Amino acid sequence: MDLIGTVRPEAPGRTAGPAPRSWPIVLFVVLALGAASLVVRWAASSRFPQVDNFFLVFGSLLMEAFPFVVLGALVSALIEVFVPVRVFERLARLPGFLQVPAAGLGGFAFPVCECGSVPVARRLVVKGLRPSAAVTFMLAAPILNPVVLGATAIAYRGRELMWAMVLGRAILGLLAAMAVGWVVGRRSREDLLGKGRAHDHGEVEPGERRWSAFSGQMAGDLVMLGRYLVVGAAVAAALQTFLPQSFLGGLAGTPVLNLVALMTLAAVLSLCSESDAFVAASFVQFGPAAQLAFLVFGPMIDAKLVLLYSGAFGRAFTRTTAIVAAAVTLVGALWLEVLIG
Amino acid sequence: MNRSWSPQRVATGVVLAGWAALFWFVLLTGRTPLYLSSRTAWVAPLGAILLTAAAGGRLLSARVRRPAGLGRGTAWRLGFLALPVVVLLVLPPTTLGSYAASRRSLVGGAFGASARDVSTGEVTLQDVAAAIWSPEAAEALTKRAGSRVSFVGIVVHREGMPADEFLLTRFIMTCCVADALSVQVRVVGAPPGKFTEDQWVRVAGTFYPLGREVIVQASEVVGVPRPARPYLQV
Repeated sequence: MDLIGTVRPEAPGRTAGPAPRSWPIVLFVVLALGAASLVVRWAASSRFPQVDNFFLVFGSLLMEAFPFVVLGALVSALIEVFVPVRVFERLARLPGFLQVPAAGLGGFAFPVCECGSVPVARRLVVKGLRPSAAVTFMLAAPILNPVVLGATAIAYRGRELMWAMVLGRAILGLLAAMAVGWVVGRRSREDLLGKGRAHDHGEVEPGERRWSAFSGQMAGDLVMLGRYLVVGAAVAAALQTFLPQSFLGGLAGTPVLNLVALMTLAAVLSLCSESDAFVAASFVQFGPAAQLAFLVFGPMIDAKLVLLYSGAFGRAFTRTTAIVAAAVTLVGALWLEVLIG
Repeated sequence: MNRSWSPQRVATGVVLAGWAALFWFVLLTGRTPLYLSSRTAWVAPLGAILLTAAAGGRLLSARVRRPAGLGRGTAWRLGFLALPVVVLLVLPPTTLGSYAASRRSLVGGAFGASARDVSTGEVTLQDVAAAIWSPEAAEALTKRAGSRVSFVGIVVHREGMPADEFLLTRFIMTCCVADALSVQVRVVGAPPGKFTEDQWVRVAGTFYPLGREVIVQASEVVGVPRPARPYLQV
């Protein structure tokens, strides 16, 4: 069963009449949830430390990321219901070569983590913004926003390379986001959102009042992306529980592979972009180039984001984003390695 | 036209209300420090308020002209979204322990050693963490060898350790448990067999930094309850 597929919108034109009985399936789902809670409670009673560890990491990822998805869904619903379409039509008329860098730099003004930028980017595409611009914004915002760059500076303060790391992260992050935007921009809006989802109206009836439509849009985005976040957090928690953080340590001294190792680790750990610099700075056996690769790649691709992207834009988009982001990050970090060692 | 309740909207509202309840529960029971650091703790009330509003909005707009039934697929998907709520509500409050300590060792942490004046004041586990990362901090800490210290942490035993030794372990987090790293000091002269794995203790004694390892010659080891803030902060 596809547990994380899209909740069907309330289709316009549905025939009036008695709704099908819902309580038997509701009762069954509630009973299943009760059974699951009993199993978890039994397993977590110090019988298996791995279970405690898994749920602690899982819970903390959700506690930290879910409010940002809610915030993203809120902004997305505001855009859908309250921002007139003509605003996006005007933006779409800007020259293409200006839209992508402008969208990337727009990330400076949106201080939320990566989870919050996904629903916003999706809504921007639905409303008619060029996919290349929306995707560039989505990938750049979690790296370029002032909170993240400030946290990077704090993590590296007192080191000679502080400014190299802060500026390197901003520049390489912007370049990687723009590269993905340009590649993805070749696809049409329908390709990106999936057939039937390009005119997504969430859980909204035609002719509903504005606040009701706003609530429906927000709930629709939240329910859809929330499920992907749950799966992503579970995958990240499992990787953190069963893979020791030292598993890639042996590659620290190997050129190129050291970069790949920390990029892989960034994807596995699924850290928030506001905290990842503190973790990156602790990998002292790896060089600054590898640490930079960790800082640029992690906010664009990690276990929970892969699931969120797949839900919002489909698997093909996720694959393309992963490949392009990895390639640009790798090349940029290699340049830095050649320049500063 | 008459309006009636939409099962799909009611179910969505109930699931969102469940998420809101989880955030309120974590806040009101003081469990936020078990998941989040003080610098990110603000997201818990934010989540609670926004989710309460989202759930309220959905339930208040649940009466519609053409209600959609709750299909089996949608019910399971909403149930799946509710699963973490149920799981996190039934889990006993706990913290990272010895299992995590072996996998999250502090290979060096960015704990602001340059800003922290390791050479004065009470020696803390943050100072020990800073000394692992920064040679300057390590040098400053070395000069304080023989000082009296008092550390709180959990007991972790490693294979081959003498019976009167253990690793006093504490985790340091930046944003949430996912980024926590462990800092450890080796306690010698502890009462053999008195303390169990993962038990919270306070160790008082004299400390001696030896390279990247810090040894505490214990004069007193007592069991203590888990601190309200079990994780140290950057």
